[in-house]
Amino acid sequence: MNVGRAIPYVDALERVDGSIGFTINLEVPGMLHARVLRSPSPHARLLKVDTSRAEHLPGVVAVLTGVDFRPASDMELLYGGMNGDQPVVARDKVRYVGEPIAVIAAETPETAERALSFIDVEYEDLIPVFDPYEADTEDSSLVHDEYDTNVCSYFKLRHGNVEAGFAEADRVFEHRFYSPAAQQFPLEPHVTIASVDASSATLWSSTQAPYPVRESVAKVLKLPEDKVRIIVPPLGGGYGAKNFVKLEPMVAATARKAGRPVRLALSTEEEFVTVTKHPAVVTIKTGVKADGTLTARKVDIHWSGGAYADTTPPVARGGGVTATGPYRVPHAWVDSRAMYTNLPQAGSFRGLAVNQVVWAYESQMDIIADALGMDPLEFRLHNLIDEGEEWVTGERMDDSHYKELIREVADKIGWDKPSRSEGHLKRGKGLSVTLKSTITPSTSRASLKVDATGTLWVLASSVEMGQGVKTVLSQMAADAVGVPLEQVRIVDPDTSVTPYDMTTSSSRSTFSSGGAIRNAADSLKAQLLELASEITEHDPTDIEIVDGFISSKNSPGKGLLIGELLQKSDRDELFAEGTLETQGGLDPETGQGKASDHWHQGAGAAEVEVDTETGRVAILRYHAASYVSRVINPTNVRLQNEGNVVYGLGPALFEEIIFDQGRVVNSNLDSYPIPSLEDVPKHLSSSALERPDAEMPYGVGENTLPSVAPAIANAVFWATGVRIHDLPITPEKVLRALRAKKEQN
Amino acid sequence: MRPGTRSQLTTQELRLQLNREHRSVEVETDETLLSVLRDKLKLYGNRQGCGIGYCGACTVLVDGKPVSSCIMLAVQVEGKQLTTVEGLSKDGKLHPVQQAFLDHTAFQCSYCTPGFILTTKAMLDEDPSPSREEIREYLVGNLCRCGSYYNILEAAEEAAVRMQAKKQVASD
Repeated sequence: MNVGRAIPYVDALERVDGSIGFTINLEVPGMLHARVLRSPSPHARLLKVDTSRAEHLPGVVAVLTGVDFRPASDMELLYGGMNGDQPVVARDKVRYVGEPIAVIAAETPETAERALSFIDVEYEDLIPVFDPYEADTEDSSLVHDEYDTNVCSYFKLRHGNVEAGFAEADRVFEHRFYSPAAQQFPLEPHVTIASVDASSATLWSSTQAPYPVRESVAKVLKLPEDKVRIIVPPLGGGYGAKNFVKLEPMVAATARKAGRPVRLALSTEEEFVTVTKHPAVVTIKTGVKADGTLTARKVDIHWSGGAYADTTPPVARGGGVTATGPYRVPHAWVDSRAMYTNLPQAGSFRGLAVNQVVWAYESQMDIIADALGMDPLEFRLHNLIDEGEEWVTGERMDDSHYKELIREVADKIGWDKPSRSEGHLKRGKGLSVTLKSTITPSTSRASLKVDATGTLWVLASSVEMGQGVKTVLSQMAADAVGVPLEQVRIVDPDTSVTPYDMTTSSSRSTFSSGGAIRNAADSLKAQLLELASEITEHDPTDIEIVDGFISSKNSPGKGLLIGELLQKSDRDELFAEGTLETQGGLDPETGQGKASDHWHQGAGAAEVEVDTETGRVAILRYHAASYVSRVINPTNVRLQNEGNVVYGLGPALFEEIIFDQGRVVNSNLDSYPIPSLEDVPKHLSSSALERPDAEMPYGVGENTLPSVAPAIANAVFWATGVRIHDLPITPEKVLRALRAKKEQN
Repeated sequence: MRPGTRSQLTTQELRLQLNREHRSVEVETDETLLSVLRDKLKLYGNRQGCGIGYCGACTVLVDGKPVSSCIMLAVQVEGKQLTTVEGLSKDGKLHPVQQAFLDHTAFQCSYCTPGFILTTKAMLDEDPSPSREEIREYLVGNLCRCGSYYNILEAAEEAAVRMQAKKQVASD
């Protein structure tokens, strides 16, 4: 058995010798280099884009602008984004600082870079809108004139009678919590190479979403989807930044115009205007009885989606549906409004959407516990849903383990033992719990092939971005067919070879692609047994496949290797397909239905030390726990669970993109630090809860990330009595709150 | 300067010891060491990261000391000993630091891994038995966005122990 074992990454060797083939290393013969002219204005009409001087420079081969997308041209301007709202390059209007206006392809990157200053652009500035509330007013200027509204996506949940619920309550609490924009910051930037001719296109791209990219590129190039091939080498980090469609339409269109392959790799500064975490304001009103029983919750979320939809609709939905938390809330009302704003598009971010709402509901849980004089752990245990309970969507929450998870982290952090404070160093502990949906409905397909050498080929379109998906899927395939891991080969996604998968996101690959592989394995095994039965004249039900060896159950030891069987039967290969499709969906008016095939569940506990003289928060200890149903590889599980905590420390304590009139002020590590070894807690640990009889693994993904910020804020509160509502929890904010508290007393 | 030309730039013959071999390569005087390693010598283990010397993904060893090759001019390494991740394994065998990173899965996406491995090697060459705190301090200039820091600390400690043991055997 391979499942459940700490098997090293199947590509570990190339990761430590440095030879792993990232997209950024690729070169295609005759390739040109692209640079992008970007808007300096957050909102302006484009009066003139004159590229003639740039086009005549030696070494410049093509310049792409909005003019190339005239109605009769061979390319279409608008693509994807969930709302089909995004132009390949700006045409009539620019909508954020950094929006592409022109792409220059030249013989060298330096030539392309220098040529940018030879494009003449005239703008007529328009009034920009940055704040999602302001964008949600009638007299706000419109980011997209043709829509008559700035609402990009609106998710509603209506359950019970929320006003009656507040009437039943003894106390009602209302608070507002804020999360700013942040940068995913994969160390490998977005990079795409496109090779395009009149009838087909091939792209190599650092994307988490090969199939959505194929769809968008096909649309832009006016080609059938099967004429567009997307090849995805391993990613040097993604964290949501590379989910959905990013550079690909722009690079493909430039390559068509140039008649030669084109490569574009972004600078770090460009990453900051390509995608961000959604800034969000969450207003949460909660009714509670004197004994601590929740009666109602009403949540308003305003997301700033930036200028284009990208993955904003699933963010509004994923954050909206989970905004009341994994609690028993008889009456619930959620308005989750995602607004277009004149900022770079916000998109998927590790812990998608849930980061922002967990920050709100788990901070408020501690505020309420304190007001009622209840222990935060007891207060949560009193309200957390149990196995099989009905939830605010009306769905039954089977396989719920929130109580186990919060007990686990509380126990590991020594919740019962008081923290010792000394002088100006105040210590405290905090808890948080998280629930997160996975995209439902969704589809993954996978294929398996055995050849006459006995090699088992796994074909799936889950992107390897460091999460170890190739290792985990290989383990699952090996066991499902019954071959040794050494005989398994897994290829990188290539839409001309590997079958459809929605995206590598939403913590879904182990479950979805893994499930599809298991289904394919059933069919492959049946074919193998059938073939073996023909050769050996045993009944298929008497034959088994163990360690790549096919033998009769009655006479083990006597049999054939898979490769031998194929050779004997004169077959080159056997091939099988599998699909995993999940069902569900929500009523658009009420948010009632089935939100998620299964639920991602996590919890975290922090012990912090606050220096009340400097406001600095040090994390002494952190324990994270997630429910994974079944562990495929304990090494990978730990890396993801603890990696989430490290990643989460950034937005919790210091990461924030600062905009000045829509322009990013801090667009690299000198002004936007990310966690280093200095920031990692001295004691960091994690656990993965399993169910012994679990059939399907749920995967790990992002479960343990969203709890990091509220667990820390709650610990800061119990250490000092000050409550931070706005992320990140910087020393300045803590000091200011401490002073305010002092003045009050 | 006229765009599209490089007429003002001068080139220079750079001679150095790259991964224990004498090498000579023509470079432009304004070219970074990272660009020469990646674009001219095709040594892709040296990663382009933040471009301003903060992330450590482009770390190489110059005369045994870690430097950010994205902010060092290639001409500055004239006559020096340069070690990149490609030069660590010997006779097909991984360097003990690489082996420890492999054994502890001290990576996820591994974009930062060569930088961490080279910095760890430099640290252990300076101080064969650092404490955990010293390791944290030495490696603070290398960033891992996936967050595999705990495995990295464990790998660095293990590498120290193994290299010590090897030295012990050699001296016995």
